[in-house]
Amino acid sequence: MQIQVVTFSEVKDGNAADEWQDGASGGVAGDGTGTARFIVVDGATGAFDAVRWVDQLVTSFVPPPGADHAGPRPPGLEPAAMRAWFARMQDQWAADVPAFDSIIEERKFREVGSFATFLGFEITGLDGPDPFWRAVALGDTVLFHVRAGRLIATFPPMRAGEFGSHPAGLHTLPSSLDEMTDRLLAGGGVLADGDFLFAATDAMADWILRAAERDEAKVFHTLAELAHPDVFARLVEDQRKEQDGAKRMKNDDVTLMRLRMLADQPSFLLACR
Amino acid sequence: MYSRDISRRDPGCVVFLLDRSDSMRQNWGNSRETMAEGAARALNETLLELLFTSQGEPGKARHYFDVGIFGYGLRPVAGGEGVEPAFGGKLAGQPLVALPDLRDNPIAVRETPSVDAGAPPSRVPVWVEPVYGHRTPMCQAVAVAGAHVYEWASAHPDSFPPIIINITDGMVTDSPYEGAGLEEWAQRLVNIQTSDGPALLFNIFLSPAGSANPVMFPATDRGLPAPGPDLFRISSLLPPPMVASAQSAGIPVEPGARGFGFNADAYNLVRFLEVGTKVDVRD
Repeated sequence: MQIQVVTFSEVKDGNAADEWQDGASGGVAGDGTGTARFIVVDGATGAFDAVRWVDQLVTSFVPPPGADHAGPRPPGLEPAAMRAWFARMQDQWAADVPAFDSIIEERKFREVGSFATFLGFEITGLDGPDPFWRAVALGDTVLFHVRAGRLIATFPPMRAGEFGSHPAGLHTLPSSLDEMTDRLLAGGGVLADGDFLFAATDAMADWILRAAERDEAKVFHTLAELAHPDVFARLVEDQRKEQDGAKRMKNDDVTLMRLRMLADQPSFLLACR
Repeated sequence: MYSRDISRRDPGCVVFLLDRSDSMRQNWGNSRETMAEGAARALNETLLELLFTSQGEPGKARHYFDVGIFGYGLRPVAGGEGVEPAFGGKLAGQPLVALPDLRDNPIAVRETPSVDAGAPPSRVPVWVEPVYGHRTPMCQAVAVAGAHVYEWASAHPDSFPPIIINITDGMVTDSPYEGAGLEEWAQRLVNIQTSDGPALLFNIFLSPAGSANPVMFPATDRGLPAPGPDLFRISSLLPPPMVASAQSAGIPVEPGARGFGFNADAYNLVRFLEVGTKVDVRD
């Protein structure tokens, strides 16, 4: 089975493009197992240098092609491996002390630190009869498993309206390690030809769940057919302006990763710049 | 109402009214601090927390809030009794200060012992110093601050409404002021509004006895001695975001709770200020 992956993103309306604090990446692991792994993270607005924290998490969980393979291996998804990875990420953050230009900056780095919600997942068994996904999550970045236009799994199992301002997540402070370990959620499911996985940060995920309550086939058809970043940008722009508050998408950084499971090669390739 | 997030496009406004009357010289409970010292320390901590919210990227602070502090009682700059902005150093005399300016202009950075045994001293930025003297011209404080709050709200019609927090240990001594009593001045203040609702006036009464029966965010003034009922009456209802904030801080809040604290010790003053200044920031 093949996986066709595309990631869309839009910065919060009113912010500069370089203030996008989400992160997403994915690809086939370079360990010869054929496993593909993916990560979507959402850096918190109130965090210190969330862009750096997000970048550190993404490049560690899914090393970019050409990365130093002598370095630490990406973590497994088992609780003990994830805990060790959390601790390693915190150590790396603390060891890389930036130059501070004020006492406020220094104290925020040391006392508040940085924070991001986290969704990591793997797809394995692509060459076998029952490929499946396994995921771990801290917070409200959500994975949707869709088959034939129907939502068959939501991970973490969130409902519309449950997206608050204080989700769980990956924190740089070592004092939060136990809580992160305790709150880590795990899930999984078997994949079939034609299935979609959508990984979305909170504003998008909340909007998807609310739209799916009204007409799930329509919303997932819309997301499945997104073919260009401009189309995604228009969708987000329109939904942020929606007059009906129950339908409106919250103005926030938005990231949507779409994975399409295909038994055959795609019939065409569209490259967007 | 009270649903807007704070953003750079629609920043918030927090104004503190700080009692600097002579009675603030009293020691606070069992501590070695005077109430003036404790209140100044709590205010400096609250300003630091506000600055933490704005310090996202290295090297710059986001303009999420305009902050004012008006001292009433002793006027250390002009002299005598009255009301004046309480910032020191380069910010002296400024009624409202944007967070990036606040960040760049503390009066001093002082070392204080860390609460963790063996840890190095904590470096604490200071914007407000403790001073005290004279009586308690609270009406004038509300009037002076209100003029600046009115201007601010006119310039930010779609922001979260201004938050005004009055920290006092005494009875108002200038009521009526310019023909209006404290209740009327307070009403004029909360008549100022943005499209997200009326301004919020919170009051916290400090007790030199320290933690003698502190009351936080009550829904009734029953049983409170003077000036509790008067301050309760002029305090705004706690809006939903702050109810949630109080509850997440472990403070029980009943329906109808007001932004009011009575007989607060230093610990409760800090918690009160945390709840009263907690608004979600979005960009």
